[in-house]
Amino acid sequence: MTMLARATIGLWLWAFAFMILYALHGIGCALRWDVVPLLGGTVFRWTMVVTWLCFALGGGAVILWAKRAPEGLERQLAITSSIVGLVGILVVGSPTALTSACL
Amino acid sequence: MNTLHRHRALTAIWGTPKGWRGTISSVNHSDIGRRFILAAFAFFAIGGVLAMLIRAQLATPDSAFVGPAIYNQLFTMHGSIMMFLFAIPMFEGLALYMLPKMLGSRDMAFPRLSAYGWWCYLFGGTILIAALAFGVAPDGGWFMYTPLSSKAYTPGINADVWLLGITFVEISAVAAAIEITVSILKLRAPGMRLDRMPLFAWYLLITALMMIAAFPPLILGSILLEVERAFDWPFFDAARGGSALLWQHLFWLFGHPEVYIIFLPAAGVVSTVLPVMARAEILGYGWIVAALLALAFLSFGLWVHHMFTTGIPHMALGFFSAASALVAVPTAIQIFAWIGTLWSGRPECKLPMLYLLGFFLVFVLGGITGVMLAMVPFDWQAHDSYFVVAHLHYVLVGGFIFPMLAGAYYWLPHFTGRARVPRLGEAAFWLILVGFNITFFLMHLTGLLGMPRRIYSYTDDMGWTWLNLLSSVGSFIMAFGFALFAIDVLLQIFLARRSRRNPWGAGTLEWAMPIPATAYNIASLPQVEGREPLRDDPELALKLARGEGYLAEIRHGWRETMAVDTTSGAIDHVIILPGNSRLPLITAVVTGGFFLSLLFGYYWFALLPLAGVTALAWRWLWVLGARSDVGMVSIGCGQTAPIHREAGGAPGWWGSSLLLVADGTFFTSLVFGYAFLWVIAPNWPPPAQMDGGVLPGMIAAVAALGGTILAYRAHTTVRTGALAAAKRVVLLAGGAQVIVIAALIAIGVTALPLPTSHAYAAASWALIIYAGFHAFLALFGAAFLHARIGAGYVSVARSQEATIAQMFAAYAGAVTILVLLCLFLPEMLA
Repeated sequence: MTMLARATIGLWLWAFAFMILYALHGIGCALRWDVVPLLGGTVFRWTMVVTWLCFALGGGAVILWAKRAPEGLERQLAITSSIVGLVGILVVGSPTALTSACL
Repeated sequence: MNTLHRHRALTAIWGTPKGWRGTISSVNHSDIGRRFILAAFAFFAIGGVLAMLIRAQLATPDSAFVGPAIYNQLFTMHGSIMMFLFAIPMFEGLALYMLPKMLGSRDMAFPRLSAYGWWCYLFGGTILIAALAFGVAPDGGWFMYTPLSSKAYTPGINADVWLLGITFVEISAVAAAIEITVSILKLRAPGMRLDRMPLFAWYLLITALMMIAAFPPLILGSILLEVERAFDWPFFDAARGGSALLWQHLFWLFGHPEVYIIFLPAAGVVSTVLPVMARAEILGYGWIVAALLALAFLSFGLWVHHMFTTGIPHMALGFFSAASALVAVPTAIQIFAWIGTLWSGRPECKLPMLYLLGFFLVFVLGGITGVMLAMVPFDWQAHDSYFVVAHLHYVLVGGFIFPMLAGAYYWLPHFTGRARVPRLGEAAFWLILVGFNITFFLMHLTGLLGMPRRIYSYTDDMGWTWLNLLSSVGSFIMAFGFALFAIDVLLQIFLARRSRRNPWGAGTLEWAMPIPATAYNIASLPQVEGREPLRDDPELALKLARGEGYLAEIRHGWRETMAVDTTSGAIDHVIILPGNSRLPLITAVVTGGFFLSLLFGYYWFALLPLAGVTALAWRWLWVLGARSDVGMVSIGCGQTAPIHREAGGAPGWWGSSLLLVADGTFFTSLVFGYAFLWVIAPNWPPPAQMDGGVLPGMIAAVAALGGTILAYRAHTTVRTGALAAAKRVVLLAGGAQVIVIAALIAIGVTALPLPTSHAYAAASWALIIYAGFHAFLALFGAAFLHARIGAGYVSVARSQEATIAQMFAAYAGAVTILVLLCLFLPEMLA
């Protein structure tokens, strides 16, 4: 199981990022953060974008970590899953910067 | 001992008695697997007949074939049967039958659980079909949306049949998922590292793990909706702070991964059959495993794409739309690996290969329309139209039925020991392929012309007449194809000539045994050195039959198989499996009694079968174990190993851990529901909230912590051998759980509003009941451990029961604290 956990670390990070972004979206809209101005944007937008980028940085770090996994299938899975995790975070989180907030 | 004597001795130990006594007591994986497959096919036939009735109704405009009430039952039952009574059980049956054989084992990890799952499935399915026969079948669509399925709009028992029947069947599915996971992780042949495992086992492992995570939200949703219908607790009633969308979230949290849960085992069949047909090694083993892992995770981030038209904000839609598009990538990697395998080999166009080609055509088309529907603007136009009906059938029939038919023809010689009758199978294939495409390709067009799903009639001026008529004709052509397939299988079973062993020249271990397989699978277990042991050593089957592997020696009438390290495949211990028993049947009957009591509204009476299940669970566990240590035993090949009772990480520990993972998902879904109602639902904050309850809350928290610490202490005391002291600590740990239960009840009774008043109160009560139930489980564990220590079943070496009891106590303690936080935090923050 340790091997499976290591082999899926990037995907776990993606799942966690997804959960946090979706939860923050629900909470932010419920508390109307989207109408509170901050640094040329809104509290909502900054919260979402900064969270997204933090997770993306985390995804990059996981790729570096995955390179040290034991050789063979485990390393292949760890590296692949961490790349998928990072790409997943970048793609799935991109609406934080691109779409309307709570409409 | 010569080969014949060994065969007779092993058959005496592993075999099933003839006649009805054997039928009701067998726990053998081959028997249970075959039953699952046959029953699933029977349910498929029933679902197919319903589909033909649907198509008969829609063949012409203004049809009077069936009225709207019956039509609603027809499409609801068609979808429910195909998803819950056919697809999942069919894959479970194949897994139960095939996995031990492929992994070089003699049975699954928990044979009695397999049998219990089978009986639950049979009884749950029978309840649903009986309801259909009596005209009270579910009629709110296979996803049972509220408020249509709430009491106000479905006052009869139709929705209750679905909620209770499906939950009954889901118990079977979760049991199977745990069974499959533990069997793959632990019950492999020595030397079979994870990276030497057949790809089919990887697919099933990931599918089973997905089921453990995906099914609990549906079970939770079904329980909440049934409680709302039975006791008027308004979880989904917007007027009292509930939310219809909560049901959709819980349903699709299960429902979308379900699509992949259905597809992955079938894709596993493709990855097994295709290289044999192509006479080449599968291309990109590691890439396929990586794609599977990615698919499993990504599939949990798509559920809202079924809810694009519910008014969810654009940003959230964007998250799910992006994830829906992304999931196509790992699917495509598998498709490319399969195409590359065909390209690199010398494919033979035998019947299984024909079905695989059909799979490529149909599934890829379904995948492409899936990407179209993942785009929000397109989905807004096509949602709830026949375009979606076409898409889902291309995905599910293409992604499940075609590969399973390929697998059926590939493995039928293994089941029957006979070769197939020529030609009939090819005719069936073409009828199914042509009939399917006529039926469903045209539905894309019907949908784009605006025909909504689930309407029972339409007028001629809508312009859908010819398309619908042709779809109906196509469906009957397809039905003839399936009938021909059934005839072909029956001919093979009863009339065809004997097949030679390993007729396809495959390299995996299921072909290293006589066909049809013996009750014990293999006379001795191999040492595996590669991914295709039979290709590495063509004489392997004979060597194993001669007893040249592990566990060839027979002793004490034990059903023995090997457990290995989960990753390296190194020898870990010997597992002694339980023999035939009527306990699974009796437990399933009593469980069924519980569900039927609820269905007919005898809620107080339901406590009786519930107590029965508890007593049977005690009995179930009690009959295992031994009162003395055995020590190391010989396993052949000059090696020794401990037995599972005296080893760490035995299947019981793994099964309990995975059960708690499923339970944790259930709890997370419940907390999600509670938070969702707070944040999203209308009519919040509630008019009346928690008032007081601090003292019982603190008592519950302290007792929960105390119970956890005492259970840990009991475990460590057992490990030191001070059993009398351990008994006393266990007693205290049980006492702590009694206090937790009493304090939780006190919070509910003294501080919470009535659960019928508002969704807040209902959800809070649900949390309290959850925590109280787990305190009861921890109490049960403590009482059981106390009795087992007293009866001499526990020692320093045999301490696993203490480990498991501690695990349940720790879980109960953690959820009690979390529930208390959920209850008191809003009050503190206010």
